[in-house]
Amino acid sequence: MASTLRLYSTCIRNTLEAAMCLQNFPCQEVERHNKPEVELKTSPELILNPVLICRNEAEKCLIETSINSLRISLKVKQADELENILTKKFLRFLSMRAEAFQVLRRKPVPGYDISFLITNYHCEDMQKGKLIDFIIQFMEDIDKEISELKMSVNTRGRLVAAEFLKQFI
Amino acid sequence: MAMACFDRASPALKKTLLELHSAEKPVEIDQHIHEFNAVRYHIQSSDSEPFLAHLSISTPLLSEEFSRSHGLSFDAAQMIRDIRTDDAIEIVEPAKEGYQLTLRIHLSKIPRRKESVKIIAQISTVQAVLLSSQLKEMLRTMNFTSKEQVHAVMHKPIRLVYQQREPFFVIRQPTKITAVFPMRFKEDSDVIIATAFFQELMDVGSREGWAKAPLCTWSPIPPPELRGELLEDLSTNCGFVSFDITARRIKGKKLDKMVWSLLNFHAFVKHHVKCTRGFIQRRMRKRLDNLIEILRNKGGPEEEEEEEEPNNEPGGCGCMRSLAGTSRSKATLERRRRSLFSNKIRYSIKVRGWVRFRHRLSKISKFSPRLRYPKLD
Repeated sequence: MASTLRLYSTCIRNTLEAAMCLQNFPCQEVERHNKPEVELKTSPELILNPVLICRNEAEKCLIETSINSLRISLKVKQADELENILTKKFLRFLSMRAEAFQVLRRKPVPGYDISFLITNYHCEDMQKGKLIDFIIQFMEDIDKEISELKMSVNTRGRLVAAEFLKQFI
Repeated sequence: MAMACFDRASPALKKTLLELHSAEKPVEIDQHIHEFNAVRYHIQSSDSEPFLAHLSISTPLLSEEFSRSHGLSFDAAQMIRDIRTDDAIEIVEPAKEGYQLTLRIHLSKIPRRKESVKIIAQISTVQAVLLSSQLKEMLRTMNFTSKEQVHAVMHKPIRLVYQQREPFFVIRQPTKITAVFPMRFKEDSDVIIATAFFQELMDVGSREGWAKAPLCTWSPIPPPELRGELLEDLSTNCGFVSFDITARRIKGKKLDKMVWSLLNFHAFVKHHVKCTRGFIQRRMRKRLDNLIEILRNKGGPEEEEEEEEPNNEPGGCGCMRSLAGTSRSKATLERRRRSLFSNKIRYSIKVRGWVRFRHRLSKISKFSPRLRYPKLD
């Protein structure tokens, strides 16, 4: 399972390295405006083909590129209902604090759990390699955190159940 | 579990009685106290009867049908008799209108020592005794029912209501009594957390070493014994929790603990769900801090540059400043090189890779601006 994760991460990393070639491009529709083309999708000549990388049916990554921006959407695995609500809560929590991460999108793309929006300005201010490292590590940390949260909730439940039943003894 | 609703003594009532008791002069008081689950207290004390207080208690009836026929229960009467010291407490008959029990408390007869706190705490638990005695009587009656009557009353659940809109059922069966709790929650996430808890409860109860605890089961559908009950009582979103109570649990001191645990089961589960949500929130906040820390660490040696040139920091949260400082412009590189040789910077934090980086930079800048070339004529 660790090997499939490594392959998945490597594939995403290589795709990001190839896709993250962004340059400044003013909006063609509105004068003196500069908008991320991947969000608007008004000019097909500025949008590249999106790449979908699937680890399995439940986990996938969609990378959409344009001339001046890149959008990465992640779908995290959710094995049961508890993981489902924990993932929703946690990723919503992070999305609401998107200004702390700058590259995080406040709302995920429909069909995905979390999305990043990287523009040419981010690439000018930050190092491309470190941005990619951050995204890969973020992805791995989310999986780890959800698993730990689930285990903690179940452990708490077990301890509380034992305390409740002790009253009868 | 230090939670007010699980304590048998009412904190507000205890505080009021302690203040009345410790007052040096007689105090006139006419106070109504309302607590959760429709519990009411009325405390009266007047100047005409100094150091004498009347306490009226109203507690919800678990089952209208059962309680009407029994009046003040044996347990409640016994408990009041037990805490009487020099006739400090008397039962007033009949009770005040709208209340189930009225007590006359002679505050002057309660000793003014540490014992007074204990006695007043016991008086504050009268409501809990009244409430739990209803269920105790019911269970004792069910337990001592003859075999012929068992067949007649079997499969006829008794509906009890302690908390509003949250009834539970007690069903007499041949070898045991079953208490069934329909569980409902407003939010979907609460439903899932509670379901995980019920599964752990079943799992723990079925292990070795927990044979003395009543058998606990959870099912998403109503048990067959509840067939025929009202649809609104059986429509739940979190299933049904059942406890099997055997005859040996309805004897002695175990009965008191068990009854109090059953009466507070709904509140207990809701408290656990609320605490779990708080726990998840705390973990998320901590993880957010860790993720932001990861961003800072990825910034590395560039962090020292910000101390010298605060004006050039880009906008946004401070956590991204370090990553933003990794600009590849020549001016930035030059500034960085100059800062390395500056004596003003003090490195209090050990930075990984710093020595290697400095060594590399020192190889680049072999030209020293201080060198002077002789002027050529």
